[in-house]
Amino acid sequence: MRLENVTVFCFFASYLCALMLELTQFLRQSVTLKWSSLGLTVAGLIAQTIYLVERSRQTDLPPLLGSSHDWLLVSAWLAVVWFLGMKVWDSRLSIGIFVLPLVLVLVVTSRFASSEPNPRVSISYWGSMLHAALWVFGILGVILAMIVSVMYLLQHRRLKHKRAELPALHLLSLERLNRINWWLIVCSVPLLTLGMITGLWMSYLAQSSSAPVSLANSTFVAFSLIWLGMAVLFGWLVVSRKATGRLVAWRTVLACTFLLVTLLAIKFLSVDGIHARELI
Amino acid sequence: MNVQVVYCNHQNANLALRERLAFSSDELLVRAYDELRARFPKSEHVVISTCNRVELYTAQEDPADTPTHDDLARFFSDFHQVPVIEFFDDLLECQGPEAVRHLFEVASSIDSMVLGESQIVSQIKAAFQLAMDSSANGPLTNSLFQRAMAVSARVRTDTKLSEGRVSIASVAVGDFGKSIFDRFDDKTVLILGAGEMASETLMYLRDEGVRQIHVCNRRLERAEALAKEFSGQAHPWESRLELLGQADVVVSTTGAERPILTAADFKPIRKKTGPKPVFILDLGAPRDIDSDVSHVDDGIFLYNIDDLEATCNANRKLRAAEIAKAREIIEEETASFMHDIYHKATGPIVKRLREHWHEISRQELELLFRKLPELDDRQREAFEKTIHRVVNKLLHPPLETLRDEARNGPPVGMLNTLKRLFHLRD
Repeated sequence: MRLENVTVFCFFASYLCALMLELTQFLRQSVTLKWSSLGLTVAGLIAQTIYLVERSRQTDLPPLLGSSHDWLLVSAWLAVVWFLGMKVWDSRLSIGIFVLPLVLVLVVTSRFASSEPNPRVSISYWGSMLHAALWVFGILGVILAMIVSVMYLLQHRRLKHKRAELPALHLLSLERLNRINWWLIVCSVPLLTLGMITGLWMSYLAQSSSAPVSLANSTFVAFSLIWLGMAVLFGWLVVSRKATGRLVAWRTVLACTFLLVTLLAIKFLSVDGIHARELI
Repeated sequence: MNVQVVYCNHQNANLALRERLAFSSDELLVRAYDELRARFPKSEHVVISTCNRVELYTAQEDPADTPTHDDLARFFSDFHQVPVIEFFDDLLECQGPEAVRHLFEVASSIDSMVLGESQIVSQIKAAFQLAMDSSANGPLTNSLFQRAMAVSARVRTDTKLSEGRVSIASVAVGDFGKSIFDRFDDKTVLILGAGEMASETLMYLRDEGVRQIHVCNRRLERAEALAKEFSGQAHPWESRLELLGQADVVVSTTGAERPILTAADFKPIRKKTGPKPVFILDLGAPRDIDSDVSHVDDGIFLYNIDDLEATCNANRKLRAAEIAKAREIIEEETASFMHDIYHKATGPIVKRLREHWHEISRQELELLFRKLPELDDRQREAFEKTIHRVVNKLLHPPLETLRDEARNGPPVGMLNTLKRLFHLRD
């Protein structure tokens, strides 16, 4: 089999089937289906890894710096790795039904995002690498915080309504979910901040190059507002002593949804003037 | 002979009604036994009153002395000052084998909210002990409750009904407590009440690693005893509100007739402590904690006994196969017990019949020995043995028939026939 034949559809289909099998657990508990779902996820991850490696070979750039398309796929890849890690840690945990839909959204969005290599990488290779890495890990933290917050809200609702746990929906305790959520926000906001700073520095360096960047564009303003929103959430989380776990979870979900929708819309509509080639 | 039970339990009556019909203290039960004795002097009585059930067992030598369903409902109504119309439909009644089967099911915890729980056994033992102390029991209830304990032990040994989480406390801690808290070793537990339920809940919490335990009870000496058992601290009842602020887990198991904690008690405490999660288990019946407490803020998770029912039902489904096995055992034991009871009813007639025949044979032997004085002791003994064997062999077929007849109910017709045939008098 030629590795170049691995397409986005291969791992998209694997993740979709894995999600379907996860959902069947609500109808009928089956160990076979559980392992099949995990197997399909692993197969999808292998296919995605091959695809990213191939893409990297073609563009002669690491996936993080390749293009918006690669960048979104790296985010999805990291989310799947996290999901599998959590499954190894606690196999009873029902995390696939939360992570796999987001992974599918990232994969679908990547299909429509620009796959042209970013021309400004040559200005500062390591600076670009740092900027992309900080943003990817920051965004990943935000995605995970959103997932954990949704899990918190579901668990909270079950406990408040005094319902027994569904065998197909085993979640972590509220205490642990709250702690994980707190750490994810506390870690991802500084990463996003550093990502912003390195981005500004990269833009400054680009002023003297053949492809200067104007900070007075709508994308930069949108990113700044997202960052500001997350920074406010971060500040409130650190300072507030009266916030209930449920309130934190709701605010996290709202802030993260806003961030993700904006980010994906920018990528999906290819209006990212800073990273894309076509708007230079 | 007759056995009867009137009962309301978690399956047919809601907690509010059970609370109104419950006998929440030993003093109340002793008064109830006095009242029952006065109303139904020819009956034996045993009352089982727990958070999930109120059951009154009665037994009579003569079925004609059996109180009616109405009589017993009126007793509950008069004793608790609750109009009969408000509970009559929820106060079920069983007689004979159904009543025996019901007790065996209760003792085997098939009828419990948490299938296979062991607590019901000690609750039945305690209920029967109190009936004995109050002289409310009798030979029939003695046999019935002793057999119930034996059946319970057999069901536990021969089936997997007791495997896994079984008691209300363990379900509460395991299924709800562990979904709220990740660990318990850094949590503070406040126990209100120092009864058996408190002790059992503490055992599960201790297994989860709880170290900080405060016990509050109206009688400080009981709080001290429980606190000592679990290396906790005992406090006077008055300090409960102050301790609430420190607690992450609150377990209330008092026998109070009204809520001891309300939303008004919690609001000022929560203002001081902030919205940290608090896991509250109200295992008292009547309820100890007002249900409005759970609406004070998002961090309060309050569960009473009825709230645990959904989880218990889930356990039931998982153990359905074991229930079938347990029911087979109970069916067999019920038939065996009823047979013993019916057979016991034939005892006096059988005894008289044996005595009558042996008396006749003894008289005839004396006549014979007088006529044959040359017989030595060995020969006399041989004669006596032969006649004894003949009498026993002649008695065997009618007594076997009587025993078989007793399998399906008291063999009243056959007993009357025997009395008439052999001139046996009562």
